Amino acid sequence: MQQTMLDRVDRVADDVVSLVLRATTGPLAPWEPGAHLDLALPNRLTRQYSLCGDPADRESYRIAVRHEPLSRGGSEYVHLFLRPARTLEVSLPRNHFPLVPAPEYLFLAGGIGITPILPMFRSAVEAGIPATLVYAGKSAATMPFATDLRAAYGDRVHLFTTRDQRRPDFAALSTGLNPRALIYCCGPAPMLAAAETAFPAERIHTERFRPATRTFAPNTPFEATCARSGRTIQVAPNESLLDALHHAGHAIPSGCREGICGSCELTVLAGTPDHRDDIGAPNDRIYACVSRARSPRLILDL
Amino acid sequence: MTHARTRPRWVPPDEVRARLGEPEAMTEAKILDRIDEHFHRFIAHSPFLALATADAAGRADCSPRGDYPGFVKVLDEHTLAIPDRPGNKIADSFRNLAENDGVGLLFFIPGLRETLRVNGRAYPTDEPDVLARMQIEGKNAELALVVEVAEAYFHCGRALIRSRLWDPASQSLATEMPSTGEVAVAQLGLDIDPKLIEHGLELGYRNLY
Repeated sequence: MQQTMLDRVDRVADDVVSLVLRATTGPLAPWEPGAHLDLALPNRLTRQYSLCGDPADRESYRIAVRHEPLSRGGSEYVHLFLRPARTLEVSLPRNHFPLVPAPEYLFLAGGIGITPILPMFRSAVEAGIPATLVYAGKSAATMPFATDLRAAYGDRVHLFTTRDQRRPDFAALSTGLNPRALIYCCGPAPMLAAAETAFPAERIHTERFRPATRTFAPNTPFEATCARSGRTIQVAPNESLLDALHHAGHAIPSGCREGICGSCELTVLAGTPDHRDDIGAPNDRIYACVSRARSPRLILDL
Repeated sequence: MTHARTRPRWVPPDEVRARLGEPEAMTEAKILDRIDEHFHRFIAHSPFLALATADAAGRADCSPRGDYPGFVKVLDEHTLAIPDRPGNKIADSFRNLAENDGVGLLFFIPGLRETLRVNGRAYPTDEPDVLARMQIEGKNAELALVVEVAEAYFHCGRALIRSRLWDPASQSLATEMPSTGEVAVAQLGLDIDPKLIEHGLELGYRNLY
């Protein structure tokens, strides 16, 4: 974890504030566009936010937070109760949404989904790579950074306001796109679904703010062996691997507990994980909060 | 302890008032009929409250409710929602509220001497938009208690100061109690190892949601 102090809170759109978190002990850990971090709130909730500032700035991090109407206590706390000068702990940045080198990019952002896309788009433009940003929101007033982006990057930025029945036509965008271009999309679930239909799976990278709705086979019990300690832990059908490890005394960090933040990543040495996360874990990794096992036993690097 | 029932002298209401004196005007003025921003901030930082209800005959009950700070949601300035998490399934509060919807809440913030009192009327709900706000570790609350606020006010800190409730040294009081297993074995006249009961209890405590 890193210590920061909340330096500024600025309203950047209806229901969206931008927070600037300043380093209190030396430079902050570096990050690449697409990265997010965990913010530990004073009410013991931990929430994940994409970094949307300048990666070259090692003195501060910037995030933007929308006040969710059905807040479980994270975004509501940020909006109503956080005040400048409060010290806040943040994790090291993690990146499940890295910008892979490509000759051209198409960025698709919906609402607060602009946050990871913003530094990606900027870095592509600064590197001289052709890049287009398609940014949709309910209305101009609800779209953070829209005016600044349009002013700075002109017609490379296409704004759509759905309240005026204006929606981006992904099929048309797909037809005219450079066949080697990569597509990055972050936004609400219907937008991600539409983008995943319109663009080739091998060229589109997505990030979600809430887990996708999916159904899994019924939970079965399995064993987790911790290779370093030699201990074997039974994971019951009604508990997660993360909880079973916690109860056995392994203090695994955790964040969202929904398979989207990646805080609880573990290395799998043997066995077949049943991946249930929305990050896309490879077979030698597992997110212990949601994922289980297809084999009777997993051997973990713990 | 004597087994004969003791019955100390009863003091009539007018005499109680005469002995306590009248409340100061300030004390009454600080009672609001709504949750203002200060009370909202208090609730957002409170991980624990005591919930008092009574049935139609006036038989009263008080039960603890706790979770992460802010577990009680302020839906608007006249309405709160308290998640119902798995407990002992006796549902005393819900049974009382079915007969008598009056409710008294006392909120605590660890380390703070003042408490927040909220009185009003309450009913159970399964409204999806309310339960969605109470989701934790991917699990929804089955029910929530909606409280329609009639009165809200800060209660002064004298009781907490006198009790030394938040003084870390007070925690040694807990070591003076026998274990829950020992109490259960004694009260129920069981012929089993108290550790078995404690083990069962600890397993239950692992599934909080």
